[in-house]
Amino acid sequence: MGFGSGAFRENYGQDMALLRTRRQWGLLAIFFVFLLACPLFCSDRVLTIMTMIGIAIISVHGLNILTGYCGQISMGHVGFMAVGAYVSAILTAKLGWSFWTALPCAALASGLAGLVFGLPSLKIKGFYLIMATIASHFIIIWLILQLRSITGGADGLAVPKPQLGGLVLNSKASYFYLVMVFACLATLLSLNIIRTRAGRAFVAIRDNDLAAEVMGINLWSYKLQAFFIGCVYAGVAGSLLVHYYGFASVDQFPFMDSVWYLGMLIVGGMGSIPGAILGAVSLRLLDELVTIAGPILSAAVAAQAAASLALISRGLVIILFLIFEPRGLDHRWEMIKAYFKLWPFSHEEGE
Amino acid sequence: MSKIRLVLVAFLMMLAGGMLLSHQADAAGKTVYVGGTMSLTGPYAEDSAAVLAAFEDYVKYVNETKQLAPWRKEKWPADVTIELLWRDDELKPAKALSIYEELKAKGILVYRISGSPIALALKDRLKQDGFGATSMATGPYLMKPPGTIFTYYPIYTDELAAIADWYKENWKESRKPRVAYLTADNAMGKSIEIPEMKAYLEKIGYEFVGIQYVPLVPTSPPTTQLMWLKQNNVDLALGVMINPGSQPTVKEMVRLGMGPSQAFKLTLGCALPSHLPVFAGAMGTLGDGFVVAGGFPPWDELSPGVKFETELQKKYHPNKWVSHSQYMGGFLEAMIQIEALRLAMQKVPLENLKPADVLNHGFYQIKNLDTGGISSTPISYGPGKIEGVEKVRVDQLQKGKVVKQGVWPLRNIH
Repeated sequence: MGFGSGAFRENYGQDMALLRTRRQWGLLAIFFVFLLACPLFCSDRVLTIMTMIGIAIISVHGLNILTGYCGQISMGHVGFMAVGAYVSAILTAKLGWSFWTALPCAALASGLAGLVFGLPSLKIKGFYLIMATIASHFIIIWLILQLRSITGGADGLAVPKPQLGGLVLNSKASYFYLVMVFACLATLLSLNIIRTRAGRAFVAIRDNDLAAEVMGINLWSYKLQAFFIGCVYAGVAGSLLVHYYGFASVDQFPFMDSVWYLGMLIVGGMGSIPGAILGAVSLRLLDELVTIAGPILSAAVAAQAAASLALISRGLVIILFLIFEPRGLDHRWEMIKAYFKLWPFSHEEGE
Repeated sequence: MSKIRLVLVAFLMMLAGGMLLSHQADAAGKTVYVGGTMSLTGPYAEDSAAVLAAFEDYVKYVNETKQLAPWRKEKWPADVTIELLWRDDELKPAKALSIYEELKAKGILVYRISGSPIALALKDRLKQDGFGATSMATGPYLMKPPGTIFTYYPIYTDELAAIADWYKENWKESRKPRVAYLTADNAMGKSIEIPEMKAYLEKIGYEFVGIQYVPLVPTSPPTTQLMWLKQNNVDLALGVMINPGSQPTVKEMVRLGMGPSQAFKLTLGCALPSHLPVFAGAMGTLGDGFVVAGGFPPWDELSPGVKFETELQKKYHPNKWVSHSQYMGGFLEAMIQIEALRLAMQKVPLENLKPADVLNHGFYQIKNLDTGGISSTPISYGPGKIEGVEKVRVDQLQKGKVVKQGVWPLRNIH
């Protein structure tokens, strides 16, 4: 997993490579084989959960670029997902476009919406930016409801399933593959974006925007780039979500989900690509665990004991991470890796 | 290292717990499952808790007595046990999807829907899988086209049409009454905004003024919306709200001098998710004049159904009386699901029973199911006929009491 001692990076190619050792390549291959084989041994329920996790990962990657790397806290992420979702739904359901044409349009539309709502970030930051992005969510949802003739308003829109050639992706397995391909691409893209000039500029802006500007980083351009890229991810996730449901409705994009996406970043680790994945996976799994535990707790205590259990547990986990591990699961994972890498000469053991 | 060990131990414990749970679920014998998804978190938490209590009571009764109701002669098969399966979906479609798959994998043959967002997300999926489901949400979207989600009280538009009929019958002035929507700003509340509803109101002699929205759970009194109604001289405001929405709205109406017995004459009528008995308990005479259509009978009504429910509550949880009227809704849902299963088992042996069998030989064969007066009429379903009742009950709060105004026929507005 790690870059073991004794293996040196001897040229720029090695230094820039995402995967540097045979073991890393092997693990990646095993992971892909596992993903390919999942539908063979996973139930429909597990595939549904994994599909939803995949969509959440794509969305959280976008939020991670915007909030984790660039420091622009967005609480309107689900609103941007709704833009992508509805653009994709309208293009496929009303205009008869194929999913593959509608998806980039949905991503672009979300990106453009991000640019528009990202404009305040040039003037405001911190708490005020949070308020502005919250407003963006409600403006987007309001617009969707008002444009009834196009969006279906509160009734929503029936959305066709994507097709690949003549194959309709309406089975759990086929959609799982589709989402996983996009989740992997989103991860790969994120890993590369943060290593570009723009990625380094994002980090500089996050750490100290004044210092970054003094160093010649164009805040206006890079903050908007972060909004655009983050919202493109949200658009893709939104599009995949409504095509999975087969239906687009504003109720699928509640404001609280933006809070939970931010929570996923906190739990996983802000400003870390594995952190975005770990956060999405862990909070979704926590959700499932609580869903199963609810009826048991209800039978043992009372029905009310199960009420709001998910809200409480998610909130509690986020608070605990903020207090005890603000750098998230990714940091904890890095510590575990470091321990085994240094074993038997761990600094903990030596102390 | 100690922290790492702790993490590993916690992970192993979670894994073992999960395996134990799945093992327990597999260990069931000749059992049929009822239930589905509940929204115990969020705005429908109170309603869902009452529904859950009713399901538990009715299932317990059938398992113990093998009877279906004191007034019914049919029996539940002696060798089959009913088990209630449910999960809290938090009113989130994403969660409802995985819950649906989980319960389907466990072998549930019938399903339930907890709210409009869940109904919209699962409607096509249920139809595709041949699942029949009962629903606590009854928007007109269920009819476009009719799927396999069945209601036990009328769809919202038909409920509001009944209020409009009732109000028009009592209208004395020569001018046209002015009507507006004052409704919740979510899928449930906005589902009444269909051209057919407006056309019906205009057809029976109303002047339609416009629409105002109230948050599903308002955080401040809807003064602006109510003042808009006042400025536009609205006589009747129609909407779909839950009690956390209707109660502050009516309180603010009274403060602003608006209401049937106030200086500015305005009647507010809502569809069933506003529960009048609950409203009456919380508001007393302050809420006088508030109208609800599609509701269930109050607890002091002496119908066999209400008596039966009261007895079960006293028997199974004498110290925990569930007064919420959605208990009656949950009771009806449990009755319908179990009746569908009973009818289906007469045609197909339990071992071979599939959801589609329960839909075709169960739900679609339910005709004139006597609910003891809990529903406004006996319940009947069929292919394309998903509204179980034939008439709409209209109640008004008068002197702090729920007073039945009568029943009006369904107008089939969707």
